[in-house]
Amino acid sequence: MRTLAEQLTDTLVVLFGVSTLVFLLLVLIPGDPVDVVLGESAQAADRAAMRASLGLDRPLGERWLDFYADLASGDLGTSLIRRQPVADLIMQRLPATLQLAAAAFLIVVLIAIPLGILAARHRGRWPDRLAQTFALFGLSIPNFWLGPLLVLLFSVQLGWTPVSGNLAPGSLILPAITLGLSMAAITTRMMRSSLLEIESQAFLRTARCKGLGEVAVLLRHSLPNAMLPVITVLGMQLGSLLAGAVITEVVFAWPGIGSLLIDAIRQRDYPVVQGVVLCIAFAYVLTNRLADLFAAWLDPRVHEAN
Amino acid sequence: MVKAAVFLLALLLAACQAAETDVIVFAVATPPSVLDPRLASDAASERTNNLLYERLVALDDNGRAQPGMATWQRITPTQYRLTLRSQRARFWNNRLPEPVDVVATYRSLLDSALGSPHTGALAHVDKVMEAGEDAVDFHLTRPDPVFPTRLTIGIVPAEAIQGHNLSRKPLGSGSFVFVEWRDDGGLLLERRRDGQRIALVPVADPTMRTLKLISGEAQLLQNDLPSELYRYLAAQPGLSLDEHAGTTFAYLGFNLADPILANPDVRLAIAHAIDRQAIIEHLFDGRAEPAESVLRPRHWAGSADLKAHRYDPELARDYLRRAGYDTARPLQLSYKTSTDAFRLRIAHVLQSQLHDIGIRLKIASYDWGTFFGDIKNGSFQMYSLAWVGVNTPDILRYAFHSDSTPPAGANRGRYASPEVDALIERAEMADPDGASALYAEVQRRVHRDLVYVPLWYESNVVASRGLSGYRPTQDGSYLALNAVRITNE
Repeated sequence: MRTLAEQLTDTLVVLFGVSTLVFLLLVLIPGDPVDVVLGESAQAADRAAMRASLGLDRPLGERWLDFYADLASGDLGTSLIRRQPVADLIMQRLPATLQLAAAAFLIVVLIAIPLGILAARHRGRWPDRLAQTFALFGLSIPNFWLGPLLVLLFSVQLGWTPVSGNLAPGSLILPAITLGLSMAAITTRMMRSSLLEIESQAFLRTARCKGLGEVAVLLRHSLPNAMLPVITVLGMQLGSLLAGAVITEVVFAWPGIGSLLIDAIRQRDYPVVQGVVLCIAFAYVLTNRLADLFAAWLDPRVHEAN
Repeated sequence: MVKAAVFLLALLLAACQAAETDVIVFAVATPPSVLDPRLASDAASERTNNLLYERLVALDDNGRAQPGMATWQRITPTQYRLTLRSQRARFWNNRLPEPVDVVATYRSLLDSALGSPHTGALAHVDKVMEAGEDAVDFHLTRPDPVFPTRLTIGIVPAEAIQGHNLSRKPLGSGSFVFVEWRDDGGLLLERRRDGQRIALVPVADPTMRTLKLISGEAQLLQNDLPSELYRYLAAQPGLSLDEHAGTTFAYLGFNLADPILANPDVRLAIAHAIDRQAIIEHLFDGRAEPAESVLRPRHWAGSADLKAHRYDPELARDYLRRAGYDTARPLQLSYKTSTDAFRLRIAHVLQSQLHDIGIRLKIASYDWGTFFGDIKNGSFQMYSLAWVGVNTPDILRYAFHSDSTPPAGANRGRYASPEVDALIERAEMADPDGASALYAEVQRRVHRDLVYVPLWYESNVVASRGLSGYRPTQDGSYLALNAVRITNE
């Protein structure tokens, strides 16, 4: 039986691998940070001085070790453009991303689980076909297209919500729907297929033979067992809500870490790109681990298997 | 589950704050990121800093130096005296800018520890010293007849040089004061004259920027929209569209070190195969004008007599045949560009026009870092880029002198002409009248040698709602915000 400490060790190994990969990718991609700071007209001596001050003249191994030493102390470096600590920039933007992710996650849960149950309960009939059609649309429409469509309808035509930004009342609604809809589609299908899969299980027949009503069978027996794969998917989705928020944040001018990442890529602000990618990767790994732990708590068989 | 839903709904509502109504919202594609004029190099930051900081010298539309907070006098060829004007604006704390502020600003710029992108342009400044109560002397290591044109960086208070993060909390003497960084990533400024507040709000997506203006959430947009959106905006009631000739110069670059493109006949064939007028008409919706040089003809160092390489596919085929290519032996070339959708659209039109004369153009689109890295490393045959905000003839050394091959400059085509080098060097030492003729000759030779195919100057376009007084400028600066006012019509 794997202990919590072992799982934590696994997580740390994954995080180590991710951070090393991010460090190496940023070193290997084309583009010179000195050009970003000084521009192309800089004198050779100034370039050399800047290279030394950024530590770019030192061996790669040494820079890698320093990177980990700084990371351990929470220092993600300093933005080349804004001249601010990267950790501060991320902390300024993270709450907006978390708000958006939480609202989108709420939409996923509120739409996907009831719709998945409805589809499974009425398999092959119109509610099922409606749910399947919704899932197909949700999966097919890209965020960068859905966002402006929603804005045209709800903001420009009806005037119910603001177009973009995060200051006006109701500004979270459209970005959350845009971000949550495609994920709700995946989860709806997962919920439906998971419920159908356990439908023929003996324990459900037993429950019904005992005289339990359909609602009680669903709530007490079907759902807890069917939720296991759904929780795994939801865990993965929570992580990808942070990563997938990049496009939605840009479309809706939502001031989160996604738009910070895009700005940093455009400005070739390498330390900020590195910090945000690390932040997203860490969030992804941690939410997946939390989903594993939650699944193990929900179903002792998972715990035993581990 | 229900508790969690209620909590999350509360979170959703908590994210929303009251909307502002007395602020002019200026939706920008890119927000300013650095509000320290010594460190800023991107266009959005420089335009914003010009509102927040007064400069010793300003440049007019023709690139000539005009007094800003100071007038100047050439004491010797290597010494300039800048005298602060008595009616100069005060700093945010009501203190009058003094010579000590000018000296502190420029000394910090000369210090490589600051890491300023402007240090290179001031490399020939030997020292900066106070000269009495209201004057500052600049001593140069070599004569520079147009030195005042380099003094366009905002002056910061001496006490803010150390220990104050001007990038985040700017302190200047410009016509606007900084109020705050907004929670939406934007910037709130206040006009000192009348307290009118203006928010620069970042909205990266052009469609959303347009919708924001139409819905009334924003009152002002400037540039960075595809032509179809300008057309759409022009048809909307209550909006006004205004445009002004711009200085953003687009060109098609050649790698002259490439054995195929080193042949002038190939370059002439390409130049005559491109129908610029059609591109301007259909892709820019007429919001650009043909260009022949990086400096506009009316610029003091510009050249007004450059003859365009007219669109003539037959002539282009003749040049191509002379170079040894025809339909039986087609010429294949590669063209690099960024991932910007509009630039890709232009690339495909160029591909089609060159195909008509028998050139197969292979388009390669890369993210900006890779694309620009390849251009600087000389790893390309053809590419297209634009010079933004160029207003001094220094660009000619930077882009065409043989000493300016990257990383020492931006001679990306690897052009090497001893005559052009000599002309540039002579122009740099000549008085402005003499320099003007020499720089014009540099541009004639660059044009004759077809170092690049000059394409067009992109216009500056402004769309607004319920405002008056904002007129776009040639360089796309935000200084027109000094005159803008709400009309609510």
